[in-house]
Amino acid sequence: MISKIIIMAERIKDAEDRLLESMFASPPLADDGFSVRVVRKINRRLWLRRLTLPIATIIGGFIAFKPLSGLVAVLSSLSSLIPTDTINMATSSIPQFQTVVLGAILLAVCLLSTRLLDN
Amino acid sequence: MVSSQDTAAFGELVRRHQSHVRNFLRKLSGDHTLADDLAQDSFIHAWEKLQTYSGRGSFIGWLLKVAYTTFLQSKRKTKRYAEIINSAGHVADQESRSQVLPDDEITDLEKFLAVLTEEERAIMVMSYACGLSHREIGDATDLPVGTVKSVIFRGKEKIRNSFDIKDHNHG
Repeated sequence: MISKIIIMAERIKDAEDRLLESMFASPPLADDGFSVRVVRKINRRLWLRRLTLPIATIIGGFIAFKPLSGLVAVLSSLSSLIPTDTINMATSSIPQFQTVVLGAILLAVCLLSTRLLDN
Repeated sequence: MVSSQDTAAFGELVRRHQSHVRNFLRKLSGDHTLADDLAQDSFIHAWEKLQTYSGRGSFIGWLLKVAYTTFLQSKRKTKRYAEIINSAGHVADQESRSQVLPDDEITDLEKFLAVLTEEERAIMVMSYACGLSHREIGDATDLPVGTVKSVIFRGKEKIRNSFDIKDHNHG
């Protein structure tokens, strides 16, 4: 109720207010392609944003390929240090042990990359 | 309501409100070309911040808030640019860039606006040219309603003291 009274009081204008309104008034401006230009700019931004992520991923993958292949090589050489008995024991107790490990690694990589892309 | 991907619907909003936003920025900056550039930037910012519009208050009030923020940011950037130019000793070049209108092209409204500070100008234009309520102006400028009222009062007083406002050309 009080806010309505305040709004009504605001709307009561004296002669000076009306004069100022007429002085500040200006004719409406024609669009003249303004809105089209704005929408075009927005669309361009959207496309750029959509392209940025895949391009960054490809470039990032390309840059990371060499160190990653080196890491894989190091890991495979390290795997030779693991006693064969341990591997055999794991393989015999869980027949699809290698598939499970590979799946777990892939899942971890997927989750990590999704999180990175999200960020 | 416009979804964040519906550029066509947003285009319709731009078409509907462009005149208000451009006129507001023209009065604020005094430069039509700059004002139109700023209006474009304002609408792009508005598109990016569209989800922050809560629906409380008018859409034009929210748009003018975005436009005012864009204007202030641009002003800050220009000031920084001028400082760099000045420090590099290119004062003359900078002066030649500024657009000064000939005396006969300056309307009464421009003379009135010239006696006001930037904040007073923005608030007076929002109130008298755009028809925003004191609360909407408060929302747009992040000022309490009481301050908005006193700024308008001060602005009117300045105009009254500087000019005979009964004898004017429409601007």
